[in-house]
Amino acid sequence: MNLRVLFKSIKFAFRAKKRVFTFIVIYAFLIVMVSRGLGTPGDELLWLVAAFILATLYAILIAQSRAKDIAILKCVSWSNSDIFLILVGEVVLVSLTAFLIVFQVSVELLGLAAYFEPGALLSTLQDWLVVDAVDLFVTLVVIVLLQIPGLYLAQRRAMMIPPMRALREE
Amino acid sequence: MVKPIIQLEEVNKEFGKGKKTVAALKDINLEIQQGEFVAVVGPSGCGKSTLLHVMAGLEQPTGGRVLLDAVDVTLISERDLPKVRAQKIGFVFQAFLLIEDLTAYENIESVLWPNEELTKETQEKMTLEVLRDVDMLERRDHFPRQMSGGEQQRVAIARALVNKPPILFCDEPTGNLDSKIGDSIMKDISTLAREKNMTVVLVTHNEDLTKYAKRILRMKDGAIR
Repeated sequence: MNLRVLFKSIKFAFRAKKRVFTFIVIYAFLIVMVSRGLGTPGDELLWLVAAFILATLYAILIAQSRAKDIAILKCVSWSNSDIFLILVGEVVLVSLTAFLIVFQVSVELLGLAAYFEPGALLSTLQDWLVVDAVDLFVTLVVIVLLQIPGLYLAQRRAMMIPPMRALREE
Repeated sequence: MVKPIIQLEEVNKEFGKGKKTVAALKDINLEIQQGEFVAVVGPSGCGKSTLLHVMAGLEQPTGGRVLLDAVDVTLISERDLPKVRAQKIGFVFQAFLLIEDLTAYENIESVLWPNEELTKETQEKMTLEVLRDVDMLERRDHFPRQMSGGEQQRVAIARALVNKPPILFCDEPTGNLDSKIGDSIMKDISTLAREKNMTVVLVTHNEDLTKYAKRILRMKDGAIR
């Protein structure tokens, strides 16, 4: 794997601010819900399917919205495996940032609850948002695994984008 | 005798199927030598852009052979074509085709990122060198939307030259620019090509630009006249 392309892809992903920030929020919500779902017997499958669908749609959305950039990069000699790292870069950025946000929010809320007498609002927030550390790490692993089929589909889509597409859109 | 750097043998290109088939290129035979500046001129739809795309391996011909530096690009798999493009070809397009989310510097350097043989420092050095060549060093951190058409085309030229390819393909490089800026862009291409002993194939419908070329090829209805 070309790490330079991967790091540049993560930086590149940051520039698509609207899409990336929207999906960071969605992924943070997803991590909280999947963590809770995995801990609730009977709900696991429902949340796993939801996470799978979302991860797949997101990977395809990246390939679609970057289609012109992908075609240009192919014109200037990027191979399909380099292009794949663009998709991976954005997914890594969004998943890790969402994970860190949930982790940070959980730590902050637990700290506040320990420091102050937990009022009704703090208790409600704690019930809603705080995720147990083990559940959180398990969820991260689960979400990373669920991304793989989505990334595969997105890669197939990106591979099919001909370099000529960039020229036809002139 | 020196081998031509670009060689086309009986190249045909058809679009469509059955009765709707349109022949874009008809039995093209062509040899271009290293360091030559060739202009391909002709009216819209005569097949000159298709000829360029076929030469560059962006489109496969329906028949015939295309050799770049003695390598038959019609026989190379889709997987290996990027390598050949990286080593042998630079492109300048009419619509600049810069990536909107990358700065001028990054647009140029992006060509080198996949090359693991080049260190980060070498990539930086090569990028800065071509930025200086096209006089765009001060605009290195600007995004395409913050640059004029002429500046964007200069960045596109720098991107085409950064990996020091022996061949430069230019498809209507001044088509989106006014005549004064277009002229200065053509002077840049001509000077840089001469300095670096590059082969240039320029496709244009603008007869004025042929003054920069050593050889002029005229196309009509998919054939070179």
